[in-house]
Amino acid sequence: MRFLRAAARQVVGLFVGDWLQSVVVLLIIGAGWFAVTRFGAPALVPLVALLAGQLVWFARAASSPPH
Amino acid sequence: MGQQLFIFGAAFLGSAVESVEALTIVLAVGLTRGWREPLLGTAAALALLVALVLAFGQLIVTTIPDSALKLVVGTLLLLFGLRWLHRAVLRSAGVVAMHDEEHAYNQAVSQLGDAASRRDWVGFVLALKGVFLEGLEVVFIVIAVGGTGHGFPAAIAGGILAAIVVAATGLVVRRPLARVPENTLKYGVGVILTSLGTFWAAEGMGAAWPLDFVSILGLVVVYFAASRVAIALIRRPALA
Repeated sequence: MRFLRAAARQVVGLFVGDWLQSVVVLLIIGAGWFAVTRFGAPALVPLVALLAGQLVWFARAASSPPH
Repeated sequence: MGQQLFIFGAAFLGSAVESVEALTIVLAVGLTRGWREPLLGTAAALALLVALVLAFGQLIVTTIPDSALKLVVGTLLLLFGLRWLHRAVLRSAGVVAMHDEEHAYNQAVSQLGDAASRRDWVGFVLALKGVFLEGLEVVFIVIAVGGTGHGFPAAIAGGILAAIVVAATGLVVRRPLARVPENTLKYGVGVILTSLGTFWAAEGMGAAWPLDFVSILGLVVVYFAASRVAIALIRRPALA
């Protein structure tokens, strides 16, 4: 049972390091899906910019000392 | 052909990183408790992992429509790659300590010393658990990269070759592979998987990338540049 719990934790941990960051990425993907169906390929530019931007944002957040 | 090579390379590099971590566990168990049980545990874990690849690989490729597969697996691959990349950025900036196989190995040996009085199957279970849990990431990389890009043979070949190369090296040196630049590899693979995930997720949304597969190289440049900006903004003196 402990092994199964460890395996389940490992599977979730494959995709989620920080829950907030994962939610933000999913929101960006959702917004991107909406934009791509409406505007086509040009919507890829803000999609990629947002995904790259959140990488910088969350790296800064993780490096700042806790309040 | 270029796409197949890219899939092979991504599966090989991603699998090599995880194989090094699995090897560290097997070596620690084998050198402290004897080799028979740890090797049996490793073989059992590998059999389980191969079964997972074959079962889930076939299932997702044959039952899920192409666009849904690209969107779901692309998004998962994006989350997976970003997790590696985020960690690599923090390590490169000196915010968290670099992963050290020598340290992980010594820690495992010391824990095994405490468990020395237990029964012999401890070695079997430890090796099975370690290889299986580390191998889950390899399974995901092989299924995601191979299944979504219609390159299962290339992805499986990359994963198997990585495991063979790492195992053979471990057999020769009989020590943890501390010289493998694991942090750098994880950084590079994180950028590649994040780029592949973005590419496939957007294709699953119905977008057509300019220059098709070549766009992945552009994505690699964008994510690499973003990671360097992040490192420059948060850089600290390196931790031990």
